[in-house]
Amino acid sequence: MDAVEQAATKEAESSIDLLVIVLDTNPSQQFVRQSPQNLTQVLESIIAFGNAHLMQKAQNQLAVISCSHHSTDFLYPVPGRQVELRQIDGQYEAFSLVEKTVKQQLGNILMNAPRLSSPCESLLAGSMTMALCYISRLQRNVAAGAKMHSRILVVTGSNECASQYMTFMNVFFTAQKLGIVVDTCALDKTLSLLQQGCDITNGQFLKVTQLDGLLQYLLWVFLPAPQMRHKLVLPPPPKVDYRASCFCHRELIDIGYVCSVCLSVFCKYSPICTTCHTIFKTPGPLPIKPKKKKKVEKQM
Amino acid sequence: MADTKFGRYASCSSVNMSLPVQGLTNLECKNLQDYLQSRTPETLEKLYTHPPICLAVYRELPEIARQFIIRILFVDQPVPKAVVSSWGAQRCAKDQTEAASCLTNLNVWRVTAIPGGLAAWELSPTFKKSLRQALLGGGKPWTMTNTVEKDSKPRDISFLDSYAMSRWRCVLHYMVGTGARSSGTTDAEAISPDAVRILLHANLMKRDDRDGITITRQGFQFLLLDTRAQVWHFMLQYLDTCEERGIPLPECLSMLFQLSFSTLGRDYSSEGMSCQMLTFLQHLREFGLVFQRKRKEGRFYPTRLAVNVTNKEEGQVVRTTLTEDVHLQNSGYIVVETNYRIYAYTDSPLQVAVLGLFTELLYRFPNLVVGVLTRDSVRQALRGGITAEQIVSYLEQYAHPNMKLMESAIRSKSCLPPTVVDQIKLWEMERNRFIYTEGVVYNQFLSQNDYLTLRDYALSINVLVWQNERTRTMVVQKNGHDDVKRYWKKYSKIAG
Repeated sequence: MDAVEQAATKEAESSIDLLVIVLDTNPSQQFVRQSPQNLTQVLESIIAFGNAHLMQKAQNQLAVISCSHHSTDFLYPVPGRQVELRQIDGQYEAFSLVEKTVKQQLGNILMNAPRLSSPCESLLAGSMTMALCYISRLQRNVAAGAKMHSRILVVTGSNECASQYMTFMNVFFTAQKLGIVVDTCALDKTLSLLQQGCDITNGQFLKVTQLDGLLQYLLWVFLPAPQMRHKLVLPPPPKVDYRASCFCHRELIDIGYVCSVCLSVFCKYSPICTTCHTIFKTPGPLPIKPKKKKKVEKQM
Repeated sequence: MADTKFGRYASCSSVNMSLPVQGLTNLECKNLQDYLQSRTPETLEKLYTHPPICLAVYRELPEIARQFIIRILFVDQPVPKAVVSSWGAQRCAKDQTEAASCLTNLNVWRVTAIPGGLAAWELSPTFKKSLRQALLGGGKPWTMTNTVEKDSKPRDISFLDSYAMSRWRCVLHYMVGTGARSSGTTDAEAISPDAVRILLHANLMKRDDRDGITITRQGFQFLLLDTRAQVWHFMLQYLDTCEERGIPLPECLSMLFQLSFSTLGRDYSSEGMSCQMLTFLQHLREFGLVFQRKRKEGRFYPTRLAVNVTNKEEGQVVRTTLTEDVHLQNSGYIVVETNYRIYAYTDSPLQVAVLGLFTELLYRFPNLVVGVLTRDSVRQALRGGITAEQIVSYLEQYAHPNMKLMESAIRSKSCLPPTVVDQIKLWEMERNRFIYTEGVVYNQFLSQNDYLTLRDYALSINVLVWQNERTRTMVVQKNGHDDVKRYWKKYSKIAG
């Protein structure tokens, strides 16, 4: 048993841990609307957290993706040659690089964003798909013999995005199949869809109650690699709301109609399945055939 | 009267102990943790004022310890011990105590009392400050990061790699004597008296009356290490001697770690360094840890040897640019077959010499050497103090890329044929059938009764090693000899 444990520790020490942070930068999030400074504070915490991840092991890798209402962009790393950067203070060079790049990229994105007239939903599921693609690309390039463990951390203050139900589910099951852990740090509301995702992929879901302590929350709950989480006491998994969202109105429902062919969920009965175009018969009262037969016999 | 004889006694036993032959010390490889633990607390405190050292120390810590540190890094008051121990899961309590004692030994945290009489952990303020600085910024920049104007002829990574390896191989070639001495003296192959002094100090080579300087058995073990471990061991030995040279240790170590945290393929400035540090830089240049065009040039490039110093695993480092990996993979040149044959695609006399330590070489071609692992050749290596583990890890480390891509290699951990690995280990085990225990022989007892009494006594205080009733002989551990002798005197007085 001890030998197994030791081998596992050794394996964990030599493997590459990749962390992809998906950061929701949508201006219509509740906490940003309250005070725009909040976004800066969240960003600082995320950068410090990302650097703390890089600090754990020399092989560790980091990617930060920003997710907004209109687009998804990489904040770090950026394609092409890295910016030439010289140390200005005692910070480790690689950490300054992360900080500078993320801030610069996000600045560019926010400046070029189209003006928003009404609150819009964030494209979280799309961004997570992008993260999955990035992970699978790196996975392919890993040298023979080396192991890579990847995970995604979603940091968002958006509302429930039930309209992206299908994409979300595809993301979660792909992640599960690839062995990628999805963690979620909710800044505002409890998000049942992401909660499901964390549950499916064995990740942690945490709703932050105080935005001031965000960095400590992140360091406590999300910094330990999934392989060593069993050694620490972490918040117990909350009761997961496994409701599905209907395909017609994109709302979470308790009881609904399910297409017998493609398993699409609907909150109201419709004669044609909108997903696979199967035609159903109208559910009228059941015909009482045997009785009729008897009556016919009597008349004869 | 029983006659006592002092002597060394070997008992036959089937228990496998990996006890090395006595009297000969093996190569001792310290990691950073062991090295730092052997320093005094004052030295450690001085070391922790340098952020790069703190960063390196942090990365060396056990996983749980790292989590503990990061959790209390931003907490300003001491944290009660009970709180810290509640962070870990119950069934990993052993790991936790290990982590805690490791942190205490390294002087990273210490026990203080908080109001209420509870014991609490407090991070060393120096360590805390430096680590925060490394993570979040602030403070003074590291010494070598002054801005330099753009290099007109920047060196790329592949150039640096080949430069570093050629420099490092010079040292190794010198050790096996295939360098300057055999192939005619060329300037590139010679190494400086300073380097020779370190090799002698490290006991990797020794001065012989007849043939000048020759390699020691530790030296052979050194050759079998992977390059990263070699550099690390060598640098530790260097640091041991650096105080004598008048170069302060904290600065050296800090510089070494700064180099290891630098970016490969980028130039750094040596401006503003003290005279001693410039000497240190020249030494690093000689071993291939940095590249500098001219001695006086204020610009240098760290090489992969320096960057890898603090990494635990070589060859697994994936940097942001993925093209570098291809280069790393090319380093393998050995193919091992299940029939114990070894094909090494190399023309380097050094690599052939190292292979020759534990294989019987059969054929040599311009680019290929064929050898076979035999019981005799491996036993010869084992007799020389090389362990089976070292042989296997050497073969694994330099395995040809094609070996790593085989179906069986992907599924199992090692890329070598399991039969070969097992056999090498068995060959080692068959040498370790003896356990050596110092002991004292008691024999020539006059009566069976005397013998039995004394034997039972020795048995009761647990010092009996071996006994034979027919010849009335018994062997007692050396430390139990006094007790048994005293008992015998008392007994014989009463009986007589």
